[in-house]
Amino acid sequence: MYIHKTNCISAQQTFGNIDLQTLAPAVENKLFAKEPVYEGVPPGMLRRMGRAVRMGVGCALPLVKDQQPDGIIIGTANGGMEDCIKFLNQIMDYEEGMLTPGNFVQSTANATAAQLGLMTANRKYNITHVHKGLAFENAVLDAMMLLKENPGFNLLLEGLDEISTYNYNIDYLDGWYKEDLTANAGLYNVDSKGTMAGEGAAAFWVSDQPERALTKISAVQQLHTEDVAAVSSFLQHFVKFHLPEGTSIDILIAGENGDNRYRHYYEAAYDLFDTATIVRYKHMFGEFGTSAALALWLACQPAFPAHAIKQRTDADPKYTLIYNMYHKNQHGVMLVERL
Amino acid sequence: MEKEQLKQKLKEQIIQFLNLTNVKPEDIKDDEPLFGEGLGLDSIDSIELIVLLSREYGINIQDPKEGRKILVNVNTMVDYIVEHRTK
Amino acid sequence: MSEIVVTGLGVISAVGKNLAENRQALINGDCGITDLSMFPTRYAGLRPCGEIKTDTETLKQQLLAGEKGVTRTSLLALQAFDEAVADAGITPAQLAGSDTALIGASTVGGMCLTDELYHDANKKSDGSEYLAEYDCSSPSLYLQKRYQVGGVINSINTACSSSANAIMYGARLLKHGLCKRVIAGGTDSLAKFTINGFNALHILSPEKCTPFDKNRQGLNLGEGAAFLVLEKREDVGSRKIYAVLKGYGNSNDAFHPSSLSDDGIGPQLAMRQALLEAALAPEAVDFIVTHGTATENNDLVESIAMLQVFGKPPAFISTKAHIGHTLGAAGAMGAVAGILGLYHQEAYPAIHFQDPIEATGLIPLLHYKQQVLKHAMTNSFGFGGNCSSLIFSAL
Repeated sequence: MYIHKTNCISAQQTFGNIDLQTLAPAVENKLFAKEPVYEGVPPGMLRRMGRAVRMGVGCALPLVKDQQPDGIIIGTANGGMEDCIKFLNQIMDYEEGMLTPGNFVQSTANATAAQLGLMTANRKYNITHVHKGLAFENAVLDAMMLLKENPGFNLLLEGLDEISTYNYNIDYLDGWYKEDLTANAGLYNVDSKGTMAGEGAAAFWVSDQPERALTKISAVQQLHTEDVAAVSSFLQHFVKFHLPEGTSIDILIAGENGDNRYRHYYEAAYDLFDTATIVRYKHMFGEFGTSAALALWLACQPAFPAHAIKQRTDADPKYTLIYNMYHKNQHGVMLVERL
Repeated sequence: MEKEQLKQKLKEQIIQFLNLTNVKPEDIKDDEPLFGEGLGLDSIDSIELIVLLSREYGINIQDPKEGRKILVNVNTMVDYIVEHRTK
Repeated sequence: MSEIVVTGLGVISAVGKNLAENRQALINGDCGITDLSMFPTRYAGLRPCGEIKTDTETLKQQLLAGEKGVTRTSLLALQAFDEAVADAGITPAQLAGSDTALIGASTVGGMCLTDELYHDANKKSDGSEYLAEYDCSSPSLYLQKRYQVGGVINSINTACSSSANAIMYGARLLKHGLCKRVIAGGTDSLAKFTINGFNALHILSPEKCTPFDKNRQGLNLGEGAAFLVLEKREDVGSRKIYAVLKGYGNSNDAFHPSSLSDDGIGPQLAMRQALLEAALAPEAVDFIVTHGTATENNDLVESIAMLQVFGKPPAFISTKAHIGHTLGAAGAMGAVAGILGLYHQEAYPAIHFQDPIEATGLIPLLHYKQQVLKHAMTNSFGFGGNCSSLIFSAL
C-alpha cells in the first residue's frame, strides 16, 4: 500500500511549516495538540464537533478536498468519549430530565468518519475501528485488504484520539500516567511508572500505485500478549517473513513511553534490531491509543529530529519497522519502505 | 421583561446553547427563519431549542413537531415565551 | 474463490438465552419488549425495552465469569461467543491459535455502568474496578484475554451497523487468508446512557414498537449479543454448515448525522453492493430481515429503498419488535434470524403490525411459513449514515 499524501495534527509543529527540531513542551504531563485554522469546515458543522472530531475532520479534509476517496477508514480508541461523558454529566445533573441530544449524536465513535462523508458527499465504504491500542493497525489492515479487492482505489486512512479531561481522569486513576510533573524532553530518562498523555490525528491518502508515492506500507500485524518472549518472537518472525532476502531493518520507530514497568518490551526490540537507527516519538506526541498513526507519519518524513534519536547508525534508511505497545498487552507492528 | 429585551436575551441564549460561535446577536433578525434558510438550523437544533425553552423558561414542549411551529423565528419564540413561561 | 460459510451461531436476547430459544420465539412471534426492571431509571415503565431478565450477578455466576471488572456487555458477549464456538466445534487450542480471528462490535461497551463511569470520569472516586472497561473494545479484549484468542482481534463501532461491519471484516480476513476461522458479531447492554440519548432525540416509543406500521411511534431499545463463526468451506470437513455468506456491502448515506436521506441512497447503495458481490439479481432474494427500527424516518426510508432496489420487495420482517434495537448487536442479530430461516427453510412472521405506511403500502410477512428459501438479506443502518447489507444463501 502506498502513501501519497499525509497530514498531521499533534503537540508538535507537524502541519504548515513543519518544524520537528523544536520540541514543544508538555503542560502538566499532557501534550495537547496545536490545532491549525480549520479551512473548509462549514461553521454549522464545526460548532457541533468535539475536539477529537474537529481534529480528525480538520486533518483529513485537505487530503480529500480535491478528490473523492473510494473509502474512508478511521481508527480511534477514544474518539467521541468526551461527548459521551458530557452527555452522561447531563443525565446525572438533570436526573434524566430534558437533555440536549447534540453530545449524544457526536459521541458515536464513527462521528469523524460520518462527518467527513457528509462534508464531501462521499457514499463509499465508511468504517471506524475502535480496538483501543490497535485501532489504527486494524484500519491499516482494512485499507490494505480493500486495495487488494479493488485495484486502483484511493483511500483516506486516519488515526486520531484526543486527551479528553474525562479519559485522562479514568486513565490516571488506572495508573497509566506519571504522578509527578515530568518534562517530556526527559521522558525516557525518568525512572518511574506511567507516561504522559497525548493526542492528535494523522491522515494518509493511500493507493496501490507506486508512482509519486512517498512511502510504502508493506505489512502490518498485531499481537495480544503480556509475555516479552512472545513479543520478541513475534517481531523476529514478522521481520523475517516480510523483509526481502538480504535486507534488514534500518530504522526502528519505537513507542517507548517512559513507563518503567513496561520498558522490557522495547528493550527486547532494541536488542533484536541493534544495528538500526532507533527513533522514539512519544516524548513528542504523548501516549494514546492511535499514536502509531503519528509514528507512521513520522516514518514518511525526510529526517528525524535529534531529540528523537536514541541511537544513530549509518544504515541507508530504506526499511523502517514501527513497533508500538499499548497498555501492556496490545502490540502492533508495521513495515514501511522509503521510496 | 420588555419584549425587546427578551428578544436580545433569547438571541444570546440561542447562540450560546447551539454554540453558534461565528454569529452575533445583531446578526439574527427578529423575523429571519431559524430553520432551512436564514440561520440554517436543523432537526437536532430544534430539539436543543426545546430544551432551552424548558431550562430557561420552564416551558415543556413534548412533541418536536409542535415545537417547529413555535420555533419559526425569534418573534414567534418570544411571543410563545411571553404567553407560556413559568420561570 | 472459496466460499465463506457459517459454521456456528450463538445468541442471547430478550426472547431467549440461546439459539434454540431465539428460533422458537421467532416461530411463535414472541415479544420480549417489557417494562425495565433490572436497573433504576426514570424511564422504567415509560419506555419499554427488550431487557434480558437475568441480572448481571447471575450472569457472572452462570458463565463462571469472576474476572475483575467484567461488565454486563462483556457477559452477554461471552454467552453468545461460548455458544457459537461450541456450536462450530472449535477447540480451546484452536481458539488460541494465531489463525483464529475475533471481530467484535459494541456501542455501549462498559458505559452500561453509568454511575461508576460518572464517578471515575469526574475523578470523584479512587477509581472503580471498571477503569479499563468503559470503551467499546472492552468486550473483544475480554474475550481475547479469557480464551487467549491468538489471531487478528478487532472492535468496530459504526453505531447500529457495527456488527454487520464486523461480520464483513471477518469474511474479508478469511478471503485474504489472514485467518482460518473468525468469530464475528456484536454485543450491547441496556444503559441509562443510550436510553437517555435516544429519548433526547425523541425516537423512543412509549409503547411496544410497531415496525413498518403507519402509526409507529419510535423504537424500543434492547440488549443482547450474537456471534457467527465463519470459515472457508474447504476447512469445514464433516461439521455442519448453516449457510453461505454470499455477499455484503457498505455505504454511507451522507445526508445527516442522525437521519437517513429521503430516498435512502445509502441503504440502496449498500443493498446493491451486496447483490453485486453475491452476483444475484434482486428477485433472487427470498427474505429480508430489515433494520426496521419503527422510527418514522427509518421505516419510511427503508421502504422506499427496498422498493427502488427490488421493485416488488420479497417477504420481510423486523426482529426489533421481538427483541428491541440492540445497537451494536443489531446487525449480527439480523444475520442470525436470516441464517436460521435459510437453515430450517422457514420464514418468520412480523409482529405488532397493523396498517402499512401510506406512501409505500408495504406489508411485512404476517404468518409463519415453511417454504423454500434460497437467499436472505439482512440490513443495518446506523447513526452517521453508515449502511450495511449482508446476503446469506442456503446450501
